[in-house]
This record gives sequence, structure tokens and C-alpha cells, in this order.
Amino acid sequence: MTATQDQAAQDQTKGRLIRGGGFLIQESAPQDIYTPEDFDDTLRQIADTTETFVDREIMPVITDLENKKEGLNRALLQKAGELGLTAVEIPEEYDGLDLPKAASVIIAEKTSKAGGFGVTYGAHQSIGSLPTVYFGTPEQKAKYLPKLATAEMIAAYCLTEPSSGSDAQAAKTTAVLSEDGTHYVLNGSKMWISNGGIADLFTVFAQLKTPEGNKFSAFLVERAFEGVSTGAEEHKMGIRSSSTVVLRLDGVKVPVENLLGGVGAGAKIAFNILNVGRYKLGAGGVGGAKDALELSTKYALEREQFGQPIANFGAVQEKLANIAVRTYAVESALYRIVGLIDAAIAGGTDKLKAIEEYAVEASIIKVLGSELLDYAVDEGVQIHGGVGYSQEYAIERAYRDARINRIFEGTNEINRLLIPSMLLKRAMKGELPLMQAAQKLQAELLEFSFDEDDTETPLAHEAKVIANLKKLGLLVAGAAAMKYGPQIESRQEILMRVADIAMLAFASESALLRTRKLGSPELQVEMTQVYTYEAAEKAATLAREALGMIAEGDDLRVMLSAVKRFTKHDAVNTIRLRRHVTKAVLESRGYPAPRARA
Amino acid sequence: MKILTLIRQVPDAEARVRVTNGAVDLEGATLVMDGMDEYGVEQALRLREGGADAEIVALAVGPRRNEDALRTALAMGADRAVHVETDAVLDPISLSKVVARIAQTEGIDLVLVGGQQADWDSQALGAATAERLGWPQLTWTNGLQVQDGALTGRHDVDEGNETFTATLPAVVTTQQGLNEPRYPTLPNIMKAKKKELRKDTLDQYGVTPLVRVVGAEIQARARMNRVIDGKDPQAAAAQLLELLRNEAKVIA
Repeated sequence: MTATQDQAAQDQTKGRLIRGGGFLIQESAPQDIYTPEDFDDTLRQIADTTETFVDREIMPVITDLENKKEGLNRALLQKAGELGLTAVEIPEEYDGLDLPKAASVIIAEKTSKAGGFGVTYGAHQSIGSLPTVYFGTPEQKAKYLPKLATAEMIAAYCLTEPSSGSDAQAAKTTAVLSEDGTHYVLNGSKMWISNGGIADLFTVFAQLKTPEGNKFSAFLVERAFEGVSTGAEEHKMGIRSSSTVVLRLDGVKVPVENLLGGVGAGAKIAFNILNVGRYKLGAGGVGGAKDALELSTKYALEREQFGQPIANFGAVQEKLANIAVRTYAVESALYRIVGLIDAAIAGGTDKLKAIEEYAVEASIIKVLGSELLDYAVDEGVQIHGGVGYSQEYAIERAYRDARINRIFEGTNEINRLLIPSMLLKRAMKGELPLMQAAQKLQAELLEFSFDEDDTETPLAHEAKVIANLKKLGLLVAGAAAMKYGPQIESRQEILMRVADIAMLAFASESALLRTRKLGSPELQVEMTQVYTYEAAEKAATLAREALGMIAEGDDLRVMLSAVKRFTKHDAVNTIRLRRHVTKAVLESRGYPAPRARA
Repeated sequence: MKILTLIRQVPDAEARVRVTNGAVDLEGATLVMDGMDEYGVEQALRLREGGADAEIVALAVGPRRNEDALRTALAMGADRAVHVETDAVLDPISLSKVVARIAQTEGIDLVLVGGQQADWDSQALGAATAERLGWPQLTWTNGLQVQDGALTGRHDVDEGNETFTATLPAVVTTQQGLNEPRYPTLPNIMKAKKKELRKDTLDQYGVTPLVRVVGAEIQARARMNRVIDGKDPQAAAAQLLELLRNEAKVIA
């Protein structure tokens, strides 16, 4: 057991674990959250090894990789395998390392600057191998996992089809049990298969024909099976070094023992694996944003215009500060969730259950991480000016590589819709007292509020702003649920806004808790302030728009005054705060990582 | 045989250090194993992989955080570690006393230390340790083998290189070019957690620093920002030549 797990197990026994989605109605204390400053020496060494691997083995050959030099991708993935990077989530009895989820997240963060190779790695280690890890029979595990652990065998996850993307269960690929009952016959095609061109093992989702109708199921399909073929490499905007092809299944005979998770387990497998993919994708976003910030900071310090480095100019400084601030908030949210998952696992919860518990947060991390990344690379290109548009500079590739993250592992729109709908489902099942909280809020709205600000505790005012942001989310969600009932599902514009408010509250709170855990150092206090005030402003607009559709007349007026109350905050000089943040960015030549508390 | 490889922890060469109250402020700086010492750890591992029946002991003398560097050495493959924990800053001569004592008590046959220490920028540690022990010292090695209890190797000199043989025990200083140090694999990182890391105190060695650092400052590199008026190109060229010759003294 690592020190991390020890700590997590202690937290678990103290009953401090907040439930999935619970952040919206509950408070957490700083010592309850896991942060990068809590990494033990094992995790720090894993981070170092991953960083060294990427810098020594990947970055020097990145141009060859991007040009798809034959065999290079596979060779490098196997090199990662020699280091154990592909074994992190595989159980020890199948030659894996079975490390805490934090380890896999750190690796995802550190491999992301390699762009396409990060995808190659993730497609194999995460969505490629984990279906077998979590749903395989002992025989399937014994057969495949030791080879997946070393990347001797490369894996791919095959869900999407030409006509079914977001609506994954509408897949048309079919599976039919043979007359003698020894195998299934698979027919169909799968699209956008990451690692498809180099994979040896495909987890394929298909409609299994049964007398009771179609049962969406998953199958382990080896490339060597007759009738398996892959198409030509797609010509993509970015992540070009990663293999992306069509997988064709033409009467493929899959032995019955290769059915994964039983008849009809397809949806459960698909969505659980996507949950894992989502928080790791968010981790990649955090890593990529740090890389973009470093590239941009160094360039801004070198590039001189009007007789001085452009890093001296406010217009550029502000961009650097914004990337740093958002990176800090999303990084805080990311490790907070990973910490909760690891704590639940260390406390004895089944791994899959622990991950599923925090599915709302996994979606939040996916959206936050991918949008942080896109923001960082976009401003990164802008800071680079003309040369940012040239392939000679790394930021150009980073810009192209980033874009896919808002699309795969569930588009950000699908993930946004999932956030309120999963919260609602948990509330209906009695797992989350959302309704009670909403009712309490209704009562509170009728009362006057006289509570005074605590001026002693650092960030006390921000804490209040964040508590109000949560209430704002509940207000909008409650009003929408009341007005539309089950029809709320078709009011996507409103659901998206509820998701956005929840995400802003979650990220601000995570930043605040981490800052307090660090002992409230000046820089992190400032970053938390900038993020929180921006969040309050954005949330106010989102809430007004949503309520404008939900209510009218007096009702609307009452609600809008509540919005005003819940997004009220002190006047603050965020421009000055950003200037301070930029100073730290320039000093660190990139992301100013907090100093771990001794 | 027993190999002692000394590890020092220094700021990452790419990291920016700052000075607080007249001393280099390492709080929060990225600290890594001194590159020079990494060659020593790697060479010890290679000697063993090359057939020498060796136990490899990693040694660090310094503050608590040095433990990270020792863990790295263990994860690279060292068998066990000794950490003489102290916040005192030891000069090379004082430090050599600790190293020599441990070499004796542990029955070490070969001591490997970096040819130069990145923090003091001194080359004295290997020499001082060898002097205390009365052992031969081979400096700045680029190649090293052990055969039948004897050491053979190569070291570069200005106009070429020399090869040498020496008997064990001996002190060897390492440098860039000796090898390409490996980085730890994840399974080895996990295994290293179970390896012995012994904690000693400086008191046990009766060592006190002979030199005390009383101040430090970072060299500021300011530009002259002199602009030559280019309206008259010939005059400008003449002025540039004059400046390069007499002020910058880069041309004769």
C-alpha cells in the first residue's frame, strides 16, 4: 500500500468521503481533498520517469512519428511497456502493477504533450485494455492481460460507427450465435478507431441477436480472426501520429468464450470505460495546457517588439495569467476527484463502483480539461503571432492536436447534458438529497440575509461566493424541473447552462480548497480569486439566460433578484491580480506549480 | 565486492533558483540527483551487469529531502541506501571524512563519486576521500571495468586519452561520457520501496563543517543596450569595429 492509499483509507474510515455529485449540496474541508502536493515519493518518481520517457524517447522523433514512420508508433508504445507504463492498471496476478488511479492520471498528464502519442498510449492502456481488466473472465484475463501489460499486444476500443456516434447504442454491427453454439458471427464496421491500424485486440460493441431481441454486447476480437480488416489511415487535423482507421468485420467468427461481460453487458461496459477515459482526457488537457503555457511564456520572453520582450506587455501578460489560473483550477478539480476515487477504492469499494460513483465529476473534468486545453493552445498561438502558424513551432501542432479533445470520449455537449441528467437520476434514486436542498433553497429565498462576511479567514468572501454559485445552480435546475418535469430532457439549452454553472462552482471550490490546504500562499489565493470572480460573472449570465426561458412576469423578476443575490461579490481588481500571476508565470518560465507544504 | 556510490541532490539545471536572505533558496525548487553522480550509479549497475558480483550501496549526506534522490538510486537498481541526515552544509573536505568512514565500516572496494559537484563546483571530494583512505584515485573516467579484482579504465586528457589499471580498493570520479544513465522503470520504483534505507546522523561521524557559506547572489547579466546610429553606414561600421576591438575585446 502506498502512502497515498494509507491516507485515503484513513479518510474513508473517518467517513469524510463526499458522494458523487454531492459537491453541489455539501461542503468539503481542505484536508478532505487530494492535491498534487500530496503525491508521495512513488508518484513523484512515476511522474519523473514518464517525463523522462517523453522527453528522451518521444520528443526527439516527433516529426517522424507525425509522418507515420512505419513501425515507430508500435515500437515506442512497447518501449513504454518496458518501463511499466502500460501495466499501471492491470492486476498484479496478470503481471500488472495495479497502482492507484492517481498514477494513471499523472501519466496521462505527462504524456499529453506528445499529442498523438498520448492518444496512442491512452487508447491502448485505458479504453483498450480496461474493458478486459474490469469485465473479463479469469480465462480472458489470463489470456490477454499479461500481453497487454507489456504492449506486446496492442488494444483498441471500437464503439463508434459511421451512423452512430453520440447515440452509441444505435450501433448496427450485428452478432449472431452460430448454430452449433461455439461462436458468434460478427458483421459491420466501426469508425474512428484509435490504434486500429496497429492493434491486435479489439473490444467490439455489437447488437447480439437473441429471441428476445437485440442485446447490445461486447466482444474481444483478435486481428488474427478471419474476416477482420482495417482501412486506410484517416487524414486528420491533428494527433496525426496516432493511428485512426475503420475496422471492418466481415462474417468474423468470434469464439463464445470471447463474449465480454455476458449477454447485453455492452452499454454497461461502454459507459463505465468512458468514465475512466473522461477523467484521463481531462488530465491530458491539464498537461497540454501546462505545455502550451511553457512554450508561450518562453516565446514571449524571447520575442522582442518595440524594443522589449512582448512578455512586458499587458495584452500578452493577461493571456499568460488566464492560462495559469484556469490550469490551477482544473488541476485542482482533477486531483480532487482522483483522490476521491482512490480513497473509495482504498476503503474497499470495488474499483468500477468507485469510478462510477464519480461519473458526474468525470464528465465535468472531461469538459473542463478539454476546454482549458483549447483555450491555452489558442491563446498560445496568438502569443506566438505569425510563427505560431508555422509548423516549425511546437505550438502549431499543439493547436491542431487539442481540438479533438472536445469531440471524442463523448462530445462536450453530450457530457454537459449528462451532468444534470446524472445528478437528477441520483436524486430520484435517493442517492443524493437534491430535492430537499432545492426546497430548503426556496424557503431561504423568502428570508432576508444578514450574514456578515468573515474577514479573518483567507478567501472567506470567495468561499461565500462559491456557496452561492451552488445555490444558483440548484435554483436554475429546480425551476427547470418544476416547469418542464420529464420534458426537461428536451430543453438542452437549459441543461447545458445548469451544467456550466455546476462546473464553475466545482472548479472554483476545488481551487479554493487546495489553496487553503496549501496554507493560503499569496499566488494561489490570487489565482483562486480571479477564477472565482470570473466564475460568478459567467454564472450570472448563464442563469439569467436560462431563467428567461423558464419563467416570465413576476416569477422571473423574483428569480432574477435571486440571481443578483447569489452572484453578488465585492469589487475586485482582477487585472492587478492577473499581473501578479503573470509575474510568477514569467519567473517559473511556465506554470507556477505550488510549493508542497513541508 | 561492495561499491559505494555517493549521491548529491542539486537544483535541476533548467530550474531557476532564487536567493533569499543571502542564501540559495531551495524551498520549492526542483531538485534532482547530480548528473555527475548519476553516472556513478549507472556505472555501478553496469559493473554488476557485466559480471561483477557486487553489492551497491548508495550514500547521501544532507537534508531530509535527499531521501528522494536515494529512492531514485534504489529504483535505478542500487541494493540499499545510507542517508546521513543533516541540515549542515558540508564542504568537500568535511564531507570526505564521512564518505571515508563509511567506506571503511562497510568494507567498500570501490567508491564512485561525481568528478565535480554541481553545487560547490569543487573537484575535491574524490581526491580528499582517496587521501583519507590511502587508496588510488582515478579521475574523470570515461570507461571502467572490473576484472579479477583489478580496475581497468580510460580517462580523457586534453590531447587524447589514457588507459589505466589499478588495484582495488580505489576511488573513481565519474563524468559525462562514461555512460548513459537509465531512468527507473515503474516495477523497479515499486521494488525500491522495500529496499533498506538506513538513517544515520552527522553526530555519529563527528564531523563539523570547516567552511561556512555566508552569502550568495545570482549573477545578473545586464545588456549594454548600446545602439549605433546607422545613418552613415561607414561611420557606423567603423564605430562597431572600434567597440568590438577595444571594448568587447572579441577581435584583435
